[in-house]
Amino acid sequence: MERDLFSQMDTDLNSISYLSLNYDHQPVLDHFDSAISSMVSSPSTAPPPPGHTNSLVIRELIGRLGTICNNNNNNKSLAAGGDHSTNTSCYSTPLSSPPKSSLHSLPSMNPNSMPFPPDQGFTERAARMSCFGSGPHMAVSGQLSRVSSSQSLMDAGMTGGAQLEGELTMQESGGGANNGRKRKAGVKGKGKEASLASSGTANSKMSEEDPSAKRCKPDCKLGGKKGGVEENNSNSSENNNDDRENKNENDSNNTDSKPAEPLKDYIHVRARRGQATDSHSLAERVTGKAVMLDEIINYVQSLQRQVEFLSMKLATVDAPEDCNMDNLLRKDMHQACDRSMQQEVYPSAFPYPNQPQAGPLNSLLTANSISNIGMQPASNLPFDGFGNTSAQIGGFWEDDLQSVVQMGFVQNQEGALSSQSFQGSGPSSSDMKIEL
Amino acid sequence: MDQFMDRKNYTHRNPNPNYTPNYNSMQSLRFIQALARINRAAPKPTTPSRRTKQIRRAAYASMAYTSGSRHNWSRALLIRLRQRQRLRSLRLLTVRRRVRIVTPAMSRPEEPARAETLRRLVPGGKSMEYCNLLEETADYMQCLRSQVQLMQSLVDAFSS
Repeated sequence: MERDLFSQMDTDLNSISYLSLNYDHQPVLDHFDSAISSMVSSPSTAPPPPGHTNSLVIRELIGRLGTICNNNNNNKSLAAGGDHSTNTSCYSTPLSSPPKSSLHSLPSMNPNSMPFPPDQGFTERAARMSCFGSGPHMAVSGQLSRVSSSQSLMDAGMTGGAQLEGELTMQESGGGANNGRKRKAGVKGKGKEASLASSGTANSKMSEEDPSAKRCKPDCKLGGKKGGVEENNSNSSENNNDDRENKNENDSNNTDSKPAEPLKDYIHVRARRGQATDSHSLAERVTGKAVMLDEIINYVQSLQRQVEFLSMKLATVDAPEDCNMDNLLRKDMHQACDRSMQQEVYPSAFPYPNQPQAGPLNSLLTANSISNIGMQPASNLPFDGFGNTSAQIGGFWEDDLQSVVQMGFVQNQEGALSSQSFQGSGPSSSDMKIEL
Repeated sequence: MDQFMDRKNYTHRNPNPNYTPNYNSMQSLRFIQALARINRAAPKPTTPSRRTKQIRRAAYASMAYTSGSRHNWSRALLIRLRQRQRLRSLRLLTVRRRVRIVTPAMSRPEEPARAETLRRLVPGGKSMEYCNLLEETADYMQCLRSQVQLMQSLVDAFSS
């Protein structure tokens, strides 16, 4: 049920007009939404390992967080064109930065790090960042990226050929950490658009080099981009288990630069294809999880501050607001409902208080609708809230108002019904109750 | 606010066959009703700050009521609102220390450093596991955002 509500809320949020948000906090929201959208979870194809249920759940949760804001972000990007560019800039790692030779300063990362690929696509970043836990299934994607990086090395057409060959020779010489790092640094310069050239030779070569090269803790499996390399997974998954033993050898090469993550002494980061691999970008990837948590906290704080601010504004709005409550209700319902249903469903749903006809229906309607309080309803029913009316009338109006609210969301025929039902005559009230 | 509370157990079967409970519509409805009630009940001398607090309380109450018992945060929020209302009505401003079985932060070393801040932000977050905390945060964020959008649209409607 909770999940149903969640999906429902997702669709609702999609339909809300984001353009109505026009205050200063908008850039913050956009910024955060893009960051959150980067936490879209990728569908995990591997069954969760028994010992990592917690991390898997966390990953799914972060994925949900991402889907919320991914939807929001998509809508917003549709609405406000270039926001993506501004949003990406915050998290894009500099691809153009030269590969650092100071690989000894490679920051240590924990197995739960979220990589920050410099892709412009938030969803891809999100999928990577969605991996809070580590598990054997991540080894697959880790292997993936190694394969892909080697394949991108192979793909001379996409990158500098000389650099490629240099990297390849370095790779083939074997040796462990430094080789792996330099190779990654080389891969960094490849560019994001390296297409996946399927080459069995590359795979076999990778398989050979795996035990010798530096192994990093693999990232989560991505959808999308990595679809082409799935074939490699089966070959490489078995190699990965051996590779993990090699990881421990490389621990000493990593420095602990993340005191905020006391879990492990080192953090393994695997470079994805097309990712920047120099020490700076790796460091950014390392701090991904903490950064995301900070973003979440900032977002919640900003939302709460906005609630305060808006309640202040609402408090200071003067009396005329009472007269327009029915219009507000209408407007608000229209904003919240589907865009496809932009129709006037309240032709006479909320008759104005000054209508001469003061049947019980109308009076109740006016009293119940959030209309002018200065205008006392002709009816003698004291009605200042649902809870205070006589039970039957209250019940009647609770249903009615809710259904009237639903009219804005639901069907076309309600409009016709409402127009005929609010005639103000007594007998029609029962009809209205049924029809609505 | 007490009227708001009384409606908690008020369930009616809507005769409309097409009635689909929509989270945003329910939230909007509740909030606008509460707002109208505040405007109706408040005489002019009410200071804006007091009205601000009332409106903010109404906002959180609408959020909590619409979410109902589905989430921990809404339950915690409801409990907090009711406690404060009770204290206010009885004019008892003494804060009673209630014994809470809560895992202190020091005993949760596996969490990131900022988890504590998050616990403070999300209602009822202090006694939740980290997993549940993240889930609750997601729902809370959604509700908060829809509430903010609702209030913003109201402000826009009023000012236009």
